[in-house]
Amino acid sequence: MSAYEFPGGIYPPERKERSNQAPLRTAPLPKVVMLPLSQHTGKAALPCVNVGDAVKTGTLVARRDGMVSANVHASISGTVIEITDSVIIIQGDGEDRWATLPPLDWRTAERDTLLQRLDDSGLIGLGGAGFPTYIKAQVNEHHAIDTLVVNAAECEPYITADDLTLRHYAADVLEGAQLLARLCGATHIIVGVEDNKPEAIQALQALLTVIADSEPLASVTLKIIETRYPSGGERQLIKKLLNREVPSGGLPADIGVLCHNPGTLLAALQAVRDGLPLVARVVTLTGDAITQPGNYWVRVGTSVDALLAQVGVDDEQLHQVVVGGPMMGTPLTSLEAPVTKTTNCLIAATKEELPPAPAEAPCIRCGACESVCPAQLLPQQLHWYARAENDAALEAHHLFDCIECGACSYVCPSAIPLVQDYRSSKQRIRHKRIETAKAEHAKHRFEFRQARLVREEAEKKARRQARLAQQQSASSDATGTQTAPVADLRSLRIAQTAAKAAVRKAEKVLARAAAQDPQQRHDDLETQLATAQENLKAAEARLADARAASEQKEAP
Amino acid sequence: MSDSFSWWGVLSAVGVLTGLGITFGALLGMASARFKGEENPLVEKIDALLPQTQCGQCGYPGCRPYAEAINQGDAINKCPPGGEATILALADMLGRDPAPLDGEAASEDTVAYIREAECIGCTKCIQACPVDAIIGAAKQMHTVIEDECTGCDLCVAPCPVDCIDMLPRRKPLTQWEPIVSDRQPLRSAHVGL
Repeated sequence: MSAYEFPGGIYPPERKERSNQAPLRTAPLPKVVMLPLSQHTGKAALPCVNVGDAVKTGTLVARRDGMVSANVHASISGTVIEITDSVIIIQGDGEDRWATLPPLDWRTAERDTLLQRLDDSGLIGLGGAGFPTYIKAQVNEHHAIDTLVVNAAECEPYITADDLTLRHYAADVLEGAQLLARLCGATHIIVGVEDNKPEAIQALQALLTVIADSEPLASVTLKIIETRYPSGGERQLIKKLLNREVPSGGLPADIGVLCHNPGTLLAALQAVRDGLPLVARVVTLTGDAITQPGNYWVRVGTSVDALLAQVGVDDEQLHQVVVGGPMMGTPLTSLEAPVTKTTNCLIAATKEELPPAPAEAPCIRCGACESVCPAQLLPQQLHWYARAENDAALEAHHLFDCIECGACSYVCPSAIPLVQDYRSSKQRIRHKRIETAKAEHAKHRFEFRQARLVREEAEKKARRQARLAQQQSASSDATGTQTAPVADLRSLRIAQTAAKAAVRKAEKVLARAAAQDPQQRHDDLETQLATAQENLKAAEARLADARAASEQKEAP
Repeated sequence: MSDSFSWWGVLSAVGVLTGLGITFGALLGMASARFKGEENPLVEKIDALLPQTQCGQCGYPGCRPYAEAINQGDAINKCPPGGEATILALADMLGRDPAPLDGEAASEDTVAYIREAECIGCTKCIQACPVDAIIGAAKQMHTVIEDECTGCDLCVAPCPVDCIDMLPRRKPLTQWEPIVSDRQPLRSAHVGL
C-alpha cells in the first residue's frame, strides 16, 4: 500500500460488479458510423474524403488541423454518405475490409518513425481528456521525464473498462508502456491500481516476475492503492504514488511525470506493432436497464442507440443514459450520439438507480465540501462567487485548479449542483478571454490601418512637393511664389528618431516572444511591428517633404 | 522665551527647508520631464474596455477616439456592440453613474458576407473596413476574411449593389456552452446511493 495520501476524497458505492463479471466481448459491427471531427482536445480535424468515396476500416477520413489535433479514421468499410461541419457519416458494407499500416518493431524503429506512427494512427488519451498522444510522447523535448505512470486506478463507480483491458491484455499494456517510456525517456514505470481489481492485479503480478527477468528498458513497479474517489485523477494519483505535487496551472511533465491510461497504451502498441489506427475501444455498458452488462470492443462512431439495442436494453425501465461515470459523466440528450474515442462507459440507468436530484436548498455553510475537495480548494467560496459571476474572485480562488470530480456535490447536504456552477463559470471565463484576445487583435489591425493611411498621405504629400520643386527649378521665374510653410525640421527629426526607436522596440519584443515560444504564432506582435514601421515611413516621408520645402525656400 | 532661542537657528531651519524644497522640486520637475508618459494612461485603460469593433456607432471614427472622448467627459453609454457589460465596466472604472444604452444593442455576433457572384469589384467596402478584413482588387470580386471581421456593418452602406449581408457568426465546436437543463445529472447519481 502507498504511504502517501492526497487530501479529501469520498467513498461512493462502487457498483462495478455489474459489468466486471462477464469477459470482454466484441460488439456487432455497426451498419452506419457517425465520426465526429472533434473527439480530442484541440482543433477539429479537417475532412479529407468526399461524399461517395469508398473507404476501408482504417482509411484516413479527416486529417489533423494544426499541432494540437488528431486524425480520424473510418471505423468500418463502406461508403461516405454525408460530411457536415462536425461529423462524417459512413454507410457500412458489412465486409469490414481493413487498410492497415505496415507493422513496426518499437524496439528498433527510429524515434521519429514511432512518433509519426502515433500521429498517423489518430491516437489520443482514452481516459477522457483525449489529448493527442504523439504530442505527449514528445514532451521530453521541453521537460525531463523520469517516470511513466500507468493510471489504472479507475476510481469512478460503474466503470470497468481499464480493469477488463488489464485482465485480457496485461502484457500488451505493459509493452505499450515500455514503448511510450522509450519515447519520452522515462526510466521507471509505475502501475497504479486500486485494490478493488484483484484479477487485474493478479495478471499484472504474474507478468512482473517475467518482465523483471527479461531486462526491460524501464523498470516496472506495481503499486496497489486504497479505493478512494478520485484517486484516478492525474494529480491525485501522482501525489499518492510518488508524493510529488503538480503545481497549480502546471502539468505532470513539470515534475517529471507522464500519466497514461491502460487503454491508450494498448492502442499505442497496436498502432505500432500491428499497424492498426484507433478505430475501436473498450466501452463499459452497464446500468440496471441493460440486460447483458459488460465490456465490449466497440467501433468508434457506433450510435449509442444501436449499441444499446444490440446488447439488450429494457426500454420501459430506461430513464437516462449517462456517458462516462456517474460522478463526472454527462447524460445524453439524444441517443443518436455516437461512441467517440473518449467514451469509456455508457450507463443505461433506471429511475430508481439514478433518481432525479431533489430541489436545491440554500447553502448552510457546513463545510463538508471543503473537507472532501481533493484539490484543496474552497468549494463554498467558489459557489458564492460563481453565482455572483465574480470572475476575478473565482480566478483568485483558483477555479481553474478544480478537476470537476464532483466530490463536493456528492456530499452537499443542500443538494447544490456545485460542479455545474464551476463548469459554467469556467466556460464563461474562457469565453471572456477569447473575446478579450479578439478585441486586442482587432485593435492592432485598426491601428495598423490608421498608420498605413497616415503614411500614404505623407508620402503623397512628399511626392507632390518633390514634383513642385522640379517644376520650380525648371521655370526660374517662380521665385517668391513659395507659400508652403516650412515645417519645424527639428521636431520632425525627433519624431523620426522616436519612430525608429518604436520599431526597434517592437522588433525586440517580437524576437523575445519568438524565442520563448517558437511554436506559437505571434500575429499581434507582428502587426504591432508593421504599425511601427508604417509610422517610421510616414515620419521619414514628412521629414523629406519638409527638407525639400526648406531647400526650395533657401535656393532662390 | 528660553535663552536657547536664536535667530540663527530659525534662519538655518528656514534655509534648510527651502533648500530641500528647491532640490526636490527640481528633482520632481526633471523626473516628470524625463519619464513623461507618452499618452494619457486612462485613455489606454478605457480603450481596453471597449470591444474594438471600430464600428463608429458612437459617432467617433473608432474605439480609441471614443476612449479619448470619454476621457474628455463624453457619455459612456454610446457603444452598442459593448452593450450593458461595457457600460457597467466603464462606470465602475471611472466612478460615473451607469446610464442605459444610447441606441439599440446588437442582438448577436455577426460577420459580413459578400455574395461574390454579385460583387462588381468597386473596392468601396475595402476602403470602409476599419480592420482590413476585406480582400480583393478593382474589378475583381472581394471577399471577407471571417476571422478578422469585427461585424461593424461599415461595409454594408457603401456597397453600390447591396451584395453584403450581415450573417450570424458561426461558433467553433470548441466554444460550446454547457446545457443547463432541469435534469441535474451530477446530483442524480448521488442521491439514493
